[in-house]
Amino acid sequence: MSATTVPAAEPRTLAAPAGLLSDVAAITARSIRGILREPELFIFSLIIPVFFFVVQVGALGDVAKRAFGISSYAAFQLPISVLFAAASTSGGNALVLDITNGYWDKLSVTPVRRSALVIGTLFGEMFAVLGYSLVLLVFGYIIGVRFAGNDIVGALGLLGLTLLFGVGFAAVSIAVALATGSVRATQSTFIIFFPLLFLTPSAIQRSLMTGWFEKAVSLNPITYVVEASRSFLFGINGTVIAKGALAAALFSALTFTLTALAFRRRVRMG
Amino acid sequence: MSTAIQATDLVRHFGQVKAVRGVSLQVEEGEIYGFLGPNGAGKSTIVRILVTLLHPTSGSGSVLGHDVVTERTTVRRLIGVALQEAGLDPKQTGRELLTLQGRLYGLRGQVLPAQVSEVTELVGLTDAIDRRIQTYSGGMKRRLDLASALLHRPRVLFLDEPTTGLDPLSRALIWDRIRELRNRYGATIFLTTQYLEEADELADRVAIIDQGRIVRQGTPAALKAEVGADVIDVAVDEREAGAARMAIEELQASGELPRGELRGTETGYTLFVPDGPRNIAVLIRGLDRAGVRFGAVSVSRPTLDDVFLAATGGRMAEKAERPAEEEERTPEPVGGGAA
Repeated sequence: MSATTVPAAEPRTLAAPAGLLSDVAAITARSIRGILREPELFIFSLIIPVFFFVVQVGALGDVAKRAFGISSYAAFQLPISVLFAAASTSGGNALVLDITNGYWDKLSVTPVRRSALVIGTLFGEMFAVLGYSLVLLVFGYIIGVRFAGNDIVGALGLLGLTLLFGVGFAAVSIAVALATGSVRATQSTFIIFFPLLFLTPSAIQRSLMTGWFEKAVSLNPITYVVEASRSFLFGINGTVIAKGALAAALFSALTFTLTALAFRRRVRMG
Repeated sequence: MSTAIQATDLVRHFGQVKAVRGVSLQVEEGEIYGFLGPNGAGKSTIVRILVTLLHPTSGSGSVLGHDVVTERTTVRRLIGVALQEAGLDPKQTGRELLTLQGRLYGLRGQVLPAQVSEVTELVGLTDAIDRRIQTYSGGMKRRLDLASALLHRPRVLFLDEPTTGLDPLSRALIWDRIRELRNRYGATIFLTTQYLEEADELADRVAIIDQGRIVRQGTPAALKAEVGADVIDVAVDEREAGAARMAIEELQASGELPRGELRGTETGYTLFVPDGPRNIAVLIRGLDRAGVRFGAVSVSRPTLDDVFLAATGGRMAEKAERPAEEEERTPEPVGGGAA
């Protein structure tokens, strides 16, 4: 999109070029407002991770200590809950509703840069991921989970990793929303949650796994994100964290590419 | 006066469906141009092309001399658009929606809140503007949509069926606002409608569109004059239809009734004749003499519906009832529940 200058002879309106940053800021603010005004979604996104956490820790906590040698199963499970919550955002749902009810068209006849409509939605999702993660970390702190080194450094590291993964996950449903314009298809992208988050060392360490399961888990990039997250709690290991960050970055790069392709398809007029 | 909107041989196909089949039109600055046709005639498709949402399959369009395909961004700054589906985010308040819209048009500083207040007042939503849009009635949503189209003082305004589905009171209010916009700001207004009285009431010029083509174009008065006659409607029972037609044709053959177009309608016949008041008497006497039983007979000045009937051979309402040949907007499958 070129920066068109308005020739003097052209009849004037009040409209002026707004700039990409201004567009993104305006759309982001609207996304965040939308998220804050649906607190029921916020609560739903937190109940499932907390439920899993409580059940897992209650059922396996003592076994894990004796059989797997995990000193604190609560600390072992907390990053899983945080990643669960990060994967339950609804960016694509908000976008697909705009597309079906005509609001996307309404925004599209303004001079807004189309990319700002998607980037702003992604920023809104990052805000939600940050909110969920903070609530769960505070919850963990209250029940006694502590980070390995400095708590602030650990928390920031874990949040950063979670954000990188969460925004990548949100991009999948945004891509489906853009490509299909279908509410049902967009909602069903939630399915990929199961292989991505359960084919990981969610219950026990990878070193205790065998056979096909171990192979599948080792191929899943989210495995490395989980291991890096735990590293902030059980002893900071630079290599493990770097692998996790790389895995999250590659995952997000892949999903962003899908989003960009879907976006091009959506804005290529008719 | 210069040209505000121009379309040249616009064609748009959706797969096999030819929604727009070669439409050319020209709208002068400051004009209210009414685009009249039944559902599925291609009105919305033409609007979506002119407001840069859809590529034409062939042909070209321009707004104030700027091409709607190659100079999209410039066109978007010059136009205001209220689409048929008033897509509004229900979770925002009216003010938030208008403010966001204004920012996307690059309004800032004192201008933005001033414009928001001005357009809010213009459409009469001042009391409701800080409520969430989900609490608005259909008419209020339409008015908010209209307000959002006016924020940046567009030179050319596209209103796609702005009053469809509204109650008479809301409709009258929107009509007032549309007139005021032209009178106060000299805006050019391109208005689509399936309501004949709306086009008649508002438009300086009207194009009648049917099956993707413009079939008549001109001022409402000129189009009605083109019918060249008064309109006599006579209601006849289905069983009497043949006899009635024969009796009327005999009257025309004998010269008692002037020759004029005779069209069958759902309720009987419509006859286009000069000097309706005199000829209605001739018609009634003739039918009576032939022993045809008939119901209400009336004479009226031609309406745009009569122009439509004369041009296409069908009443607009009848055309709208048959299944649309075209989906103007690809409907998106809407899933159940959630969100």
